[in-house]
Amino acid sequence: MTGLDEFLDELVTGADGLFLFSPGKSDYDRMAEEEDVDVIVVGAENDVDAESFVELPVEFDDLRTRVRFGVEGAVDNGYVEDEAELVCLAGVFDDDADTVSRVRADKFEKSGVYDLFANSRAEPSVIRDVLEVAVELGKKGQKGKPVGALFVVGDAGKVMNKSRPLSYNPFEKSHVHVGDPIVNVMLKEFSRLDGAFVISDSGKIVSAYRYLEPSAEGVDIPKGLGARHMAAGAITRDTNAIAIVLSESDGLVRAFKAGELILELDPEAY
Amino acid sequence: MQIDWPEVVRAVFSEQGAFVVSVGVLVFGVLFSYLVWRWTRSLLNNAGVTDAVEGTPFERTARGFGTSTVGIISSLAAVFVYVLAIVLAVNIAQLGNPELFWSRFTSYLPSLFVAALAIIVGLVVADKAKLYVSEQLRSIKLPVVNFLPVVVKYSVFYVAILIALGQLGITTTALLVLLGIYAAALVALSLVAFWDLLRSGAAGIYLLLTEPYSIGDSVRIDGNEGIVQEVDMFTTHIESDGEEYIVPNQKVFASGIVRIRD
Repeated sequence: MTGLDEFLDELVTGADGLFLFSPGKSDYDRMAEEEDVDVIVVGAENDVDAESFVELPVEFDDLRTRVRFGVEGAVDNGYVEDEAELVCLAGVFDDDADTVSRVRADKFEKSGVYDLFANSRAEPSVIRDVLEVAVELGKKGQKGKPVGALFVVGDAGKVMNKSRPLSYNPFEKSHVHVGDPIVNVMLKEFSRLDGAFVISDSGKIVSAYRYLEPSAEGVDIPKGLGARHMAAGAITRDTNAIAIVLSESDGLVRAFKAGELILELDPEAY
Repeated sequence: MQIDWPEVVRAVFSEQGAFVVSVGVLVFGVLFSYLVWRWTRSLLNNAGVTDAVEGTPFERTARGFGTSTVGIISSLAAVFVYVLAIVLAVNIAQLGNPELFWSRFTSYLPSLFVAALAIIVGLVVADKAKLYVSEQLRSIKLPVVNFLPVVVKYSVFYVAILIALGQLGITTTALLVLLGIYAAALVALSLVAFWDLLRSGAAGIYLLLTEPYSIGDSVRIDGNEGIVQEVDMFTTHIESDGEEYIVPNQKVFASGIVRIRD
């Protein structure tokens, strides 16, 4: 198999950075000894105590999204240069690394998917929890029927001032946070209500049933998306919040930040 | 009032009968101790003790001897039952001088058992507590903090030894006084250290329960004016143009709240 060996050699020579996706301890130790290459660990947790680490808030199933997230995170943290040649080692079919790919750091147009999690007002774990609720809601729907939902996360004080209640707030004087299992059920039940959920920086559910009233001027979202997405895009442009939307019509989960569509996930594939 | 079982048995049966009964008691003791062994084992296993002690040094040492924590405790219970049976049998058959040695030994036996149990439980709990504390402090990368789990471990172990010694009837007054001083010092120290936190927490509970202001309201607290962004146990976050004040809840109480209505 000399041909294959040569090919692999060619693939990895001259790389400036090596991305390890959720590596095992022994793998990491072996790679970390390499002198002429920066080793960056991307994963849910830094179990190997790597110096350069990018936290992966969601286990993206799709390798493209995962690599993209890792690369954006590494560039953002200054671990690698913009023009660096990168080699990625990831597990696609299994948890262990089984795939090698090579990419240039500036190959991707900056999508801001790393920025969405790391540099938003709300804590990354809160955003992840909300995303998970939206994905689960998209998978199962509410009692089998597809539903739509709009979560506005972070900067809750400003969001509350730029919205008005449609009815009594079911979360008034309750102190519940996203991520508690019972709360996820509550959110699902309340998703049949019209209006948006407002969630604070620390994950407290401030209100349901909010009608968002931002100025939608100059919000540029892809044509064909409905009023819910428009409201989500507009509120994120007007405040420092991010918005996570589950579309009722096509069932996709989308995240908005600063008035722009950042992330698009298919709940079925996730 | 205690019933003197050997006396009762000897009164009911004849001399030879008593001997047969004592052999019977021995056999029954073997059977019963085996049952106790199995019963303790399955009880501890069902209670999830096996998983709970997993990874503690005591469990590892026990494994080194080819047994486990659950095994040791259940064997201990079985031995306890068996020794009781032997003592009972010997007393019934009236071998040796029962008055002198055995009667004291039998009254001593339960304490011995409890003492051994206290030591084992203390060892395991101490290690578990240490693990738990260091797990909680893992995100704080400060060398001094590593000292805390060890303190917790030896505190738990100290209490366990106290219980064991107390069971064995050894005077523990001095050690108890030491423990009292230690506990009092701990309470005093944490009161001083956490005084502000405690006051903020108490105020925070009131604020969370009654919600005089909620997220999105415009308020002025202690001269800081803005929109409430977050209310938690200890602090209130107030934000105005580009500035976020994090006000301790105790200040909210001390200075009062001004709600600003347009």
